[in-house]
Amino acid sequence: MRDLIRGILKGAVGPEANDSRFLLDVHSRDLPGESTMVRYDDSDEVDLVVVGAGAGGSVLAQRLARAGWRVVILEAGPFWHPDEDWVSDEAGSHQLYWTQKRIIGGSDPIPMGSNNSGRGVGGSMVHYAGYCPRFHPSDFHTHSVDGVGADWPITYEDLRPHYEQVERELPVAGQDWPWGHPHRYPFSPHPVSEQGAVLWRGAIRAGVEMRVGPVGIVNGTFGNRPHCIYRGYCLQGCKVNAKASPYVTHLPDALAHRVEIRADCMVARVELDDATGRAVGVVYHDEVGGTERLQRARFVAVSGYSIETPRLLLQSTSRRFPHGLGNNDDQVGRYVMVQGAAQTAGRFPEEIRQYKAPPPEVSSEQFYETDPARGFARGFSIQTVGPLPITWSEHVLADGHWGRALREYMRDYNHWATIGVLNELLPHQDNRVTLAEETDPYGLPVARFDFSVGDNDQANMDYSTKVIKDILEAAGAQDVLTVHRYAHLVGGARMGTSPESSVLDANQRIWGVPNVFCSDGSVMPTQGSANPALTIMALASRLAERMASGRAMDSSGALVG
Amino acid sequence: MVGRYPDFDVFDAVETWDHATRKVIEDRMALAGRPLRFFTPEEEPTLRAFCDTVMAQDDEPRVPVAEFVDDKLAAGRLDGYQYADMPDDRETWRLVLAGLDEAARDRFGAEGFAAADPTGREEVVDALAAGKLSGGSWERLNVTRAWSVVMHAVLTGFYSHPWAWNEIGFGGPAYPRGFMRLGPVSTLEPFESPGATQEDPVRIVAEGEV
Repeated sequence: MRDLIRGILKGAVGPEANDSRFLLDVHSRDLPGESTMVRYDDSDEVDLVVVGAGAGGSVLAQRLARAGWRVVILEAGPFWHPDEDWVSDEAGSHQLYWTQKRIIGGSDPIPMGSNNSGRGVGGSMVHYAGYCPRFHPSDFHTHSVDGVGADWPITYEDLRPHYEQVERELPVAGQDWPWGHPHRYPFSPHPVSEQGAVLWRGAIRAGVEMRVGPVGIVNGTFGNRPHCIYRGYCLQGCKVNAKASPYVTHLPDALAHRVEIRADCMVARVELDDATGRAVGVVYHDEVGGTERLQRARFVAVSGYSIETPRLLLQSTSRRFPHGLGNNDDQVGRYVMVQGAAQTAGRFPEEIRQYKAPPPEVSSEQFYETDPARGFARGFSIQTVGPLPITWSEHVLADGHWGRALREYMRDYNHWATIGVLNELLPHQDNRVTLAEETDPYGLPVARFDFSVGDNDQANMDYSTKVIKDILEAAGAQDVLTVHRYAHLVGGARMGTSPESSVLDANQRIWGVPNVFCSDGSVMPTQGSANPALTIMALASRLAERMASGRAMDSSGALVG
Repeated sequence: MVGRYPDFDVFDAVETWDHATRKVIEDRMALAGRPLRFFTPEEEPTLRAFCDTVMAQDDEPRVPVAEFVDDKLAAGRLDGYQYADMPDDRETWRLVLAGLDEAARDRFGAEGFAAADPTGREEVVDALAAGKLSGGSWERLNVTRAWSVVMHAVLTGFYSHPWAWNEIGFGGPAYPRGFMRLGPVSTLEPFESPGATQEDPVRIVAEGEV
């Protein structure tokens, strides 16, 4: 009944226990409360120190601060002041990405930075596109049902109330969702642009069902968050405050509940007391070349995402964990996943102008589940995207053009429409993060990420590329152009049912360490073909609830209540 | 190259840009003619000839691509990854420029890449794009990846410049203005203008008309 009323009232009913939307300033984009933010001393043992102010860390901090915990977040990147720091420009947004060096290897090395790694307060959701789909119930037991991947130690039902809560907080706008566990969204779907309409028409003709959304972009009145202005720069940081990121959705409320965000602080290791086996806090640098500082804390949450979380755990060696924290069974850094993210563009006689409106508009999960007839396990989703000129020029280059040919293609930019896929690539133990010999400016070893595509993955990608080409051809495209690429990151410190095959228990706590948790995308055993942001937040919301009640600290590591 | 949007200039809307964005773009335009900081005087002619060749810029005024690349590398604004079988991007650039000179010398007996005639330069770049250069500096690189590393920087330099936006009819910065006319029936904002021509580039390139 409650759901029904919310569904009818749409955005008129706001989220509970989160005042971020009212705390924001109508006329300034700065994070309110920065100047009056509480400051804790290093020697002051806080209740929780969180490493990383992104989706997982921010939600956890906000929730536990509401429960009365004293929380410090250490963030490697800067404390943004969007009015001055963020720009309506592609190349000028370079500093939003984690551009510190990572070494990439394997047979399919994954470029890092712009489309998978964020840096600074708010994390990579500052520059994510905005798609906020849920995982499907099937994602939580692909091993039992499809014989691939891994089973989660929790189910969709464990996350469902948190999905609903986070969707109200972002808030998510979209049509009623027919796939996975069918559900509604708190805000109505956004208007569809020329590009969205052209692609959607093609999908209908090709027999592919699509829906508008789901995107974490305000469509209506939501406290002091303005309505979207459809300028199309979602991937460059939303200067409007319409697109959701922890910077606007959770950190204002966190600061109002006495959370300290200590920016420009690079954590070097989790400090373990070998006598007790408990972490005493984290050691960090507040400047390059500075002395090490130790922030004491009762609990530690590592929220650095799939590269930096394993890197930090591997760097945190002790007598009890000589190969890195939680790594006595050689599981840390393994099973890192990316999604296949090929994009196909079609050329149309009329002007499309794909730079207008947010890139995420219309999507489909019709191919999400396993269909034996396709010849591979699991599936993919389909989403519209709208590359801006620099990104579009990379597409043209990848199609083999440079010089005069490239300029000729480029000046035709306004005639192209682009659609992409997200393939569920399966977890593999050798797709992993390790420490390289090279060190960063802090003297810490940089991460190395090796990735290789498997046979099922390749079959999935080949099939999905054909589907989006069919959509474009059905839409009336005169020519198509496809680029093969990857997006997103999850895994690397996965949760599971035994320390031999996972890093974390069902409470996202490191096996064998009573007070260190992970709260980010690295905890996921599988990834579905959904964008990970919403699930990272929902997992953090669930973890916070269990930490606040003490259930997460139950020594058995199993699910209790 | 004939402009497709002769009546369109993103600067017509400059008063609607927010001050932070405007400053970033004006700073970028001011790179033109600035002395290089990362590349040596010996490397500079090869760098400029390469940027001109791959972006088909053969006339003034040029989009300052070479200066953009130099500024990026001098400031250490790298992209966050390095292939395990490749050196640091800064080293990659130096090796690529040396390799281009070597290829021009080997193929045409030219003093360097910049001294080769336009057809010769295009032949060398064609070989680079196809990963078909070897020997000398190229042995220290994965040639296909080197092409993608250098072109990533070149394309970012070129298509981040307002003159390039005018050429392709891109609306440019859009905050706080935004867009009100999204479609879906090809409606344009008052400050946008439709293309004067609409040749299909796929046909033009396939038939060798460029």
